[in-house]
Amino acid sequence: MKKRTNLTPYLYIIPGLVMVLGLVYIPVIVNLIYSFFRLSSYSSSMKFVAFDNYRRLFTSDTFPIMIRNNIYYCVISLIVQVGFGTFLALLLESKLAGERFKTICRNIYFIPSLVSLTAVGLMFNFIYNPQLGMLNTLLKNIGMANLQQTWLGDKNLAIFCIIAMSQWQFTGYITLLMVVAFQNVSTDYVEAAIIDGAGPVKRALSIILPLAKEQLLVCTIITVIGAFKLFTEVYSTTVGGPGNSSQVLGLFLYQNAFLHDDMGMAAATGVLIFVITVTASIFQLKISRSGEV
Amino acid sequence: MSTEKYILRARILKVLLHMFLLLLVAIILFPVCWLVLNSLKTNQEMFLNSLALPKKWMFENYVTAWNKGLVSYFVNSIIVGALSIGVILALSAMMAYGLTRFNLPGSGFLFILVLGGMALSEQVALVPLYKILQAVKLYNTRAALVLPYVAFRIPFTMFLMRSYFISIPKELEEAAIVDGCKSWQRFTKIILPISKPVLASCAIVNLNHVWNEFLFANVFLENKKLMTIPLGLMTFQGDLKSDYVVMLSGILICSLPMVILFLCMSKQFVRGLTSGAVKG
Amino acid sequence: MKKNLKKTLSVGLAAVMALSLAACGGGSSDAPATTTAAAGSEAAGGGASEAKPEAAASGDVKTIKLFHRFPDDPCNAFIERKLAEYEAAHPDIKFEVTSAQNQPYKEKIKVVVGSDECPDIFFSFCGEFSERFIREGLLMDLTPYLEADPEWKASLMETQMNEYTTADGMVYGIPFRLDAKEFFYNVDIFNELGLEAPETWDEFMAVLEAIKASGMDPIAEGNQDKWPGAHYLGALNEQCVPDDVRAKDYDPKTGEFTDPGYVEAFKYYQQLVPYMNMGVNGMTHDMARLGFTQGQNAILFAELVEITNIKQENPDLNWGMFKFPVIPGAKGNPDLVSGAPEGFAVSSKTAYPDECVEFLKWFLGAETGAEQAAEVGWFNASLGVDEGLTDPSLISAYEVIANAKKMDIWFDNALYSTVCDEYLTQISDITNGDVTPEDAMAKIQKVAAEAQNLAQ
Repeated sequence: MKKRTNLTPYLYIIPGLVMVLGLVYIPVIVNLIYSFFRLSSYSSSMKFVAFDNYRRLFTSDTFPIMIRNNIYYCVISLIVQVGFGTFLALLLESKLAGERFKTICRNIYFIPSLVSLTAVGLMFNFIYNPQLGMLNTLLKNIGMANLQQTWLGDKNLAIFCIIAMSQWQFTGYITLLMVVAFQNVSTDYVEAAIIDGAGPVKRALSIILPLAKEQLLVCTIITVIGAFKLFTEVYSTTVGGPGNSSQVLGLFLYQNAFLHDDMGMAAATGVLIFVITVTASIFQLKISRSGEV
Repeated sequence: MSTEKYILRARILKVLLHMFLLLLVAIILFPVCWLVLNSLKTNQEMFLNSLALPKKWMFENYVTAWNKGLVSYFVNSIIVGALSIGVILALSAMMAYGLTRFNLPGSGFLFILVLGGMALSEQVALVPLYKILQAVKLYNTRAALVLPYVAFRIPFTMFLMRSYFISIPKELEEAAIVDGCKSWQRFTKIILPISKPVLASCAIVNLNHVWNEFLFANVFLENKKLMTIPLGLMTFQGDLKSDYVVMLSGILICSLPMVILFLCMSKQFVRGLTSGAVKG
Repeated sequence: MKKNLKKTLSVGLAAVMALSLAACGGGSSDAPATTTAAAGSEAAGGGASEAKPEAAASGDVKTIKLFHRFPDDPCNAFIERKLAEYEAAHPDIKFEVTSAQNQPYKEKIKVVVGSDECPDIFFSFCGEFSERFIREGLLMDLTPYLEADPEWKASLMETQMNEYTTADGMVYGIPFRLDAKEFFYNVDIFNELGLEAPETWDEFMAVLEAIKASGMDPIAEGNQDKWPGAHYLGALNEQCVPDDVRAKDYDPKTGEFTDPGYVEAFKYYQQLVPYMNMGVNGMTHDMARLGFTQGQNAILFAELVEITNIKQENPDLNWGMFKFPVIPGAKGNPDLVSGAPEGFAVSSKTAYPDECVEFLKWFLGAETGAEQAAEVGWFNASLGVDEGLTDPSLISAYEVIANAKKMDIWFDNALYSTVCDEYLTQISDITNGDVTPEDAMAKIQKVAAEAQNLAQ
């Protein structure tokens, strides 16, 4: 039953498509072009430098530090936000606690993700403050003053303090998404499993999780992409310090573009972020497909 | 295993679970309480002992914070938020409708193309977008925020709506086709009303994003009169002088609206996502 | 709910339609990205942004855009009031003011200065910070105006104006506030311990040791933002490195930083670190200052403009000032005063150059300056702004600057931005003890060599 070619359906798609192509895809392509030039924000001159921006990026002393920090952020977020967050979602779906209690807990866990990143960054600046901060004051008051730290001012701790802050903020977000996914798992499957005598652990592992796999995949991809575009968390706390110890790709890009007037270098960093996030997304999709059989 | 033992074990588990969940609640709420406490002190008191109770409860810190321009940041955030959400929802819904209802040739490709936008991060487009916005004289206007927000939020929103639209039975529309309704009417009269839950969820997800977005706002705006809340908060932090307690008050004031909105709508929010999310 | 939803949707759809139509119309353009965004402006611009009535305004009113970095009161209120006064006296002038905090300001100004959004008058640090704009021809030459009005020229403090003059004699800015870095000390603590303000490095170390022995962290210091440490190094480099060598190194085209004096300066800084409060890199400068004003630390290395803040935080504090201690035998110049005037420059693109200069003459002149000194506690470069002062601390602050033979501008503004970034990073690491002075300088040298290419 073929209709005549009708252009109307495309009218529904075109406006959104134009926006996405024009303001997402084209800038990304332009960014690739910029990465081969030297250009600044206040002068109009553009000089072709071939791969010089990339050479400077890869040979900079900060480069290994940034990559390391982004990977730390990524791995820890996967373990805590996705791993523990999913576990928490399973607990919240268990039958051991009352509905009301669980809903309240779930909502409280979600609250931090509603607060803006800058607000959370400024808050944690206080919490980590060595003199008046919550952590050091608490440690002093419970008689563990020897455990006091400089936190954000310590080269070895700074990035982990920032990562911890993000876990505080976003674990509840993943938990809620997973709760939603679990609620979508048809109760028939679960009841069938109960009749088969499967214990709660077995039910979770063999029925609920596999059925919520796609949501888990989406959460994983979001987390990985988020880890490599990390910016505001660092900008509102350490700005990369002390030294360069908490520098990350996103902040490096920003600083080159708007502090050092080195937009070409910023573009090269952007291309690197692009390559990493896209590769990671494709890789994860592949893995999930191969598991499907 | 005897029933008695089983019940005992279940009870212990139950207590442990409750304790664990409450411990997490404490981890989330304790820092917040500490901040509220300190937002009611003077700077000096906070510096000397941040755990002590204030000598005098400084509620005026909140007034000071509010008078530091928070009103205009709020207004800007609301305008930018409303415009962005409106356009995001409209474009995404239309696109999802177009992709799911017409069996278009190439719709699979278009879907993947748009969805691929999700993997492209804002930073990668930052420098060219900034140059483009300057070239077309949009730099430092609200449109400089709304347009990129819309473009970057369409993929995810379209994705959520698409799975919801797929789950809407075709029969609903077929009756309308018989009645001679054009596709536009079917879209606005049948599909949209039925999709309210997912529209609401998408609105909250996007509002949260737009409300809290910092990078674009920081780069594409310069005028203090146009600044949104996340930017405004950063202006509380001076180089030679920060008024910490007022900053804390400002943070709390700015964070409240989204939290309250969520708590009021959390049921609808979860419901919209439940019916829209990918089914197992 | 239903009604609102419909409304939102219909507004959105209208915008979409306009947008897609406009986008189709311009589809043949060779710059597709530009077209799309331009189309968007028509659609969203109508509802979103208030149109800027620049040219539309009546021909008589001249709008002058002004961008400053003093958004905190009392200064912000002072500026606002002065501008209003000027507008009232000059009905043809209207100001459009923007302000930002220091760090965002540094990012923003670079973005706007080259664009059509460029403010007519804007704050600009002296030194390399402004000179890079001069290299692009973005700042207006004020020299002809000063030559045309000798009275005005004579009314401005010469040592300070020198800082806003390029090597080839172009004046590009007029100071708004004068500033220098001094050590502030708690007189009561010093008296209690029988100490006196030190003049030489050895005396300084003895003082620090005595305070430390009494169980107090002597120096309040917060380096989370990285610039406070740079001010120590700036002062130490002045003493350890000869003037001509520094001048050569601070110029991005010739900077090498190979003089052994730089390593020496780092070593002197390292001597100070053990006497600072805990968590230097984990605290901002103003938070560390609370330690000083609340009597927990005895010494603070701070700017004169902070006197206002010190008084606010603890009006009863009994404090004094001393100059950066002299290091005997060092190869640099011990007479320099670390600090710089901070002032306003005029854009070379302004449509109203004469009006801008006329305004600056008044705004940064003696009359306004005297009010500013009394009200905000900051001085501009006009002679005689100190005449009505009664506050002894402000008088002594003014003397520090008035008696300075030569200023040496803030270290972090003197350097090319990538070199500055690296230097600040190394200072931060030295403070934490994570790097040796030699290794730190090696890294700075590497970046300086690269900057030679970038700055061409």
